[in-house]
Amino acid sequence: MRQPNEIDACLAASAPSGILYRQDTDDKGVTTAWCTLASHGDLLPVASWLKTVGARLSTITVFQPKAPPAPKVAEGETAPPPPTFFGGVPMSGHAYEVDYHFDLDGLTLTVVAHVPEGGAIASLTGLFRAADWPEREMMEIYALQVHGHPDPRRLFIDEGIEGAVLERLIPMSTLTNSATTKGLWEKILAQTETPSS
Amino acid sequence: MSNFTIPVGPLHVALEEPMYFRLDVQGETIAHVDIHAGHVHRGIEYLVTKRNVFQNVVLTERVCSLCSNSHPQAYAMAIERIAGIVVPPRAQYLRAVADEVKRVASHLFNVAILAHLVGFDALFMHVMEVRERMQDVKESVFGNRMDIGANAIGGVRYDIDAQGIGYLNQQLDAIDAEVVEIIDLYRTNGSILGRTRGIGVLPHADAVDCGVVGPVARAAGIDYDLRVKAPYTAYDRLDVTVHTLPDGDVWSRAMIRLYEARTAIGLIRQCLRDLPDGPTIDSRERPSIPAGEAIARCEAPRGELIYYVRMGDSPKPERVKWRVPSFMNWDALRIMLKEAKIADIAIIVNSIDPCISCTER
Repeated sequence: MRQPNEIDACLAASAPSGILYRQDTDDKGVTTAWCTLASHGDLLPVASWLKTVGARLSTITVFQPKAPPAPKVAEGETAPPPPTFFGGVPMSGHAYEVDYHFDLDGLTLTVVAHVPEGGAIASLTGLFRAADWPEREMMEIYALQVHGHPDPRRLFIDEGIEGAVLERLIPMSTLTNSATTKGLWEKILAQTETPSS
Repeated sequence: MSNFTIPVGPLHVALEEPMYFRLDVQGETIAHVDIHAGHVHRGIEYLVTKRNVFQNVVLTERVCSLCSNSHPQAYAMAIERIAGIVVPPRAQYLRAVADEVKRVASHLFNVAILAHLVGFDALFMHVMEVRERMQDVKESVFGNRMDIGANAIGGVRYDIDAQGIGYLNQQLDAIDAEVVEIIDLYRTNGSILGRTRGIGVLPHADAVDCGVVGPVARAAGIDYDLRVKAPYTAYDRLDVTVHTLPDGDVWSRAMIRLYEARTAIGLIRQCLRDLPDGPTIDSRERPSIPAGEAIARCEAPRGELIYYVRMGDSPKPERVKWRVPSFMNWDALRIMLKEAKIADIAIIVNSIDPCISCTER
C-alpha cells in the first residue's frame, strides 16, 4: 500500500506558494483528492514528490473555465476587479486550468494549476514518461505552451490545420472541408497544375 | 547489412484501424520506431460540450466499439457523483454484468486475432466461434451485438428476469468449458508458443515507467486492477481475482486475457446469483445536474478508463476529458518493437489490443 498518510501536509511542504486541498471518500472507500496550486511554478516540486511516492500519471485535462457573469455596475462607480482563481490568476474566460490526474494505488489525486492567457507551463516529461502524449495533445488543442517538452510535434491534428482548435469556433463547413468528395476534388484540382486541353 | 526505412500503415492488412509506423530497420531487425497518429481523430471531446448531459450517454458509447460499454459507464458515474445520485443496488450488479460480458467478448476477439496472425486459422475460427456465443448473449439480453446501450445516468436500461438468468447461465457454462480448452491450447501449442514466447517484451521497469494499465501491465507483473484497487458498481461485493504474469511478452498478454475471460465469466455468475431485487434506475427520469466536477474510473477490457467531467450552469458540460487505456500503450509499443523482427510486427502490435478510435477520439 503506497497511499501516503497526510498527503495534504506533504503536498503543502512541496509547494511554497501554498495549496488548497480537499478530499472525499465514497461509500466504497475510494478516495478522490484535489490539490489546487497557488502558483503553477510549484508544479515540478509537487510532481517530484509524487514521483518519489510511486504515483502514476493517468492523464492531463486542459480547459478554459468560463468567466463568471460580470456584475452590473451603477453609473459613476468603477467595476470591481474580475474574480480570480486561488493564487490570483484572473477568471477571464481565457485563462487555462490544467488538471494533472495522478493515481496513488487506487487513490485519485488531481493537481490543479492555473495559467493566465498567453502563459506557459513546465513539462512533466522529465519525471513522468506518460506525460509525453498528453502534453503534445495539450499544445495542439490550446495555445498553451509547454516548456521543456522533448518532442513538441503535433500529435493528432495535421500540421496544415491552424492550432488551438478548442479556442476557436470552427464552422461545420470548414470542419468537413476535406471530407466532402466534391470539395476535396476541387481542392486537389486547384493545387494540381493540369495543362488545359 | 543494409538499413531501410519501411512504412507500416496507415492502412495495412495487419491493422484493423489506421496508424502509421515509420520503422528504421537494419536487415530484418527494427532499430527505431516512430508513430504518427491522428487518422481517426474526430474531435469527440469538442462534440460532447455541444450536447447535453443525457445525449452524451449515447455519444460516448460510440467512441469505440470494443469498450463501448465502459465509456458511458464511466461518464454516467462522473455525472452521478456530481449530482449525488445513488445508483440502486440491482443496477450496480447489472452494470457489472454488462461490463464483464463485454470483457469476455473483447478478450476472446484479441486472442483470436493472435491465432490468425500466427497463421493458425483453424484456432482463429474456433475462438471466434466461442466469442460468437457471447455476441449472441449480447443480442439476446441487450438487443445489440456491440453498442449494448446498458447504461443510463442513475442506473441501467435493461433488466434480467429468471428466464434470462437461466439462459445466461446456460451460455456461460458452454463458453467456460470452451475457454478452459482454449487456455490449454494457448499454453501448450507449439505454433503459438514459438511465435509468442519472449517476443515483444515489455520489462516490468519500463511498464511502470510508461504508466501502462490493464492486461499489458498485469502481463508485466504489475498487480493493478481498478475493480480491486478502486472498486465501483458491485465490485466491492464481488470476489475479483487479479491475474499477473512476470515476463511481459506477447504470450503473457494473451494468457492474461484468457484467464481474465474466465474470471469475468465467474463474476457474471456471482452477479446473477446475488442479484438484489429493486429498481434498475434512479426514480427521477431527468435529474437536474448541478455545477461541479468529478472523476470516475472503471476497468475497461484494456485497463483503466478515466473520465473527468466539469459541469457549469448549462445543461451542456463545460469540459469532458477521458483517457483510454490504449493511450499509453503506443509508447510502450515502441519498447516492445525495439530489436524485434519485421515478421513479428503485426503480432506485437496486436498484443497491446490496440484501440485507435479510443486513443484519438
